[in-house]
Amino acid sequence: MSSLRNSGLRIRGLQVEYTSGQPALGQVSLTLPEHGIYTIIGPSGSGKSTLLRAVAGLLPSYEGELLFNGKSVHDKETLIGLVPQNYGLLPWKTVRDNIRVAMRITSPDRESKRVMEAEISHWLKSMGIAELAGRYPLSLSGGQQQRVAIARAFAIRPTILLLDEPFSALDAITREALQQIFLDNWLAHPATTLFVTHDVEEAILLGQKVIVMPSAKQDTPEILDNTPVFAMKHEEKRDSNEFFEQSKRIRKVMLAKW
Amino acid sequence: MVKKRGLPHLLRLLFVFLCMNIIWYMAYLLMNHPILPSPGAVYEAMFHLGARDVALNVGYSLLRIFEGVLLALLIGLLIGLLMGRSQLWNRLLDPVVYLTYPIPKIALLPVVMLFFGLGEISKVLMIMLILLFQVIISVRDGVKAIPESTYDVLTSIGASTGQKFWNVTLPGALSVILSTIRISLGTAISVLFFTEIYGTEHGMGFFIMDAWLRLDYPEMYAGIMLFSLVGFVLFLLVDVLDYKFMKWRR
Repeated sequence: MSSLRNSGLRIRGLQVEYTSGQPALGQVSLTLPEHGIYTIIGPSGSGKSTLLRAVAGLLPSYEGELLFNGKSVHDKETLIGLVPQNYGLLPWKTVRDNIRVAMRITSPDRESKRVMEAEISHWLKSMGIAELAGRYPLSLSGGQQQRVAIARAFAIRPTILLLDEPFSALDAITREALQQIFLDNWLAHPATTLFVTHDVEEAILLGQKVIVMPSAKQDTPEILDNTPVFAMKHEEKRDSNEFFEQSKRIRKVMLAKW
Repeated sequence: MVKKRGLPHLLRLLFVFLCMNIIWYMAYLLMNHPILPSPGAVYEAMFHLGARDVALNVGYSLLRIFEGVLLALLIGLLIGLLMGRSQLWNRLLDPVVYLTYPIPKIALLPVVMLFFGLGEISKVLMIMLILLFQVIISVRDGVKAIPESTYDVLTSIGASTGQKFWNVTLPGALSVILSTIRISLGTAISVLFFTEIYGTEHGMGFFIMDAWLRLDYPEMYAGIMLFSLVGFVLFLLVDVLDYKFMKWRR
């Protein structure tokens, strides 16, 4: 019982302040079961990215507790895959090297080089970018760079996956294709995922639960269940009644929290 | 860069070289004075230089440049990286660099000679001293110019400081480091000439000054041509390094 209670991502009383002393993130407490996609939506400045950065261990200081399966998220056992808005690729490394570096850092004791190379090839293939392995990021389009960033995040087999508006800079067609590829890969490797987006439609299409962040720092985030839409086939979601109903519901909550 | 430029670049270089020789020849005809021999006389003098003699002088000069540049790079990289990545070190060392950078280092030549004698050490140290500050400042600025977000993914997966250095800081600053080496080489060659005037019987500086004192102008110019060739080859070497390590920018 106790292990079940501890399972998943628990955020308790998380508070972040800017150096000026102004709150960047009000007190946030969330309990998110393991192996789920949680989309986070909210107005600009509501602290969506700050929440992600805190979990990623990129903030020098914060108040509160961040636990995964009862241990600190920054414990060595917890592997965090991050896909930042700007893709976060190292421009001086080829596509393959970008993935290889992350894999070497996260599992230095990996059995053999051959196995690692095979894994990299697998991820490149599953993201549809096998032919780009030897290319450098600056020679790729935004959509291609984003695929590499997602492949890298999945390749380290993360326990927590963090995505910060990964598709926001892409055109609608590329975005839809990448949402589908992301979901296919996630279903094969369901890490506990926090997915920040500013797009209500994307939040409903990808999330099992949708977390609506408030604009007022003293207010608490609201978690909306999205299982009926999440359970549908991806290509059917957009035209379903559930999708429209959920969309109306989330917009209403967002307006109330604005 | 070297390969991409290819033949047209080489042809342009040859064309410029030919034009310079034509201008030189015209100046020779106009002046008609022994202090400016014809290109033909200089190339003939070059041809008659003993291979062993050339190798020895060029070799000594190259070794001094190599040692001076290497020392400046090692120390400069270390200090520059430290200042670029740590605010504390930057605050501590910035005033030192700021105060010492404007000192004309060549004026320190007598001091270096007094402390380290007339031998090899003072020559290498002079080259190192002149280059060191350029290296520190460019490496520091190069490291600072790497966006902090470049480190984010590695930080989130728990990369060590060493892993971040090898995968982000060093390759990120490499472009600036190569530019600095390119600029530094020109300066190093100039400084080398001064340092080879004294306390040595080897090196291109000595060779040129020796020919000058013997009033052997064709040989003096031949020395200058050889010295320039050494500089040119070193520049090409940096181009090759740039081609090898900066592929990602193309």
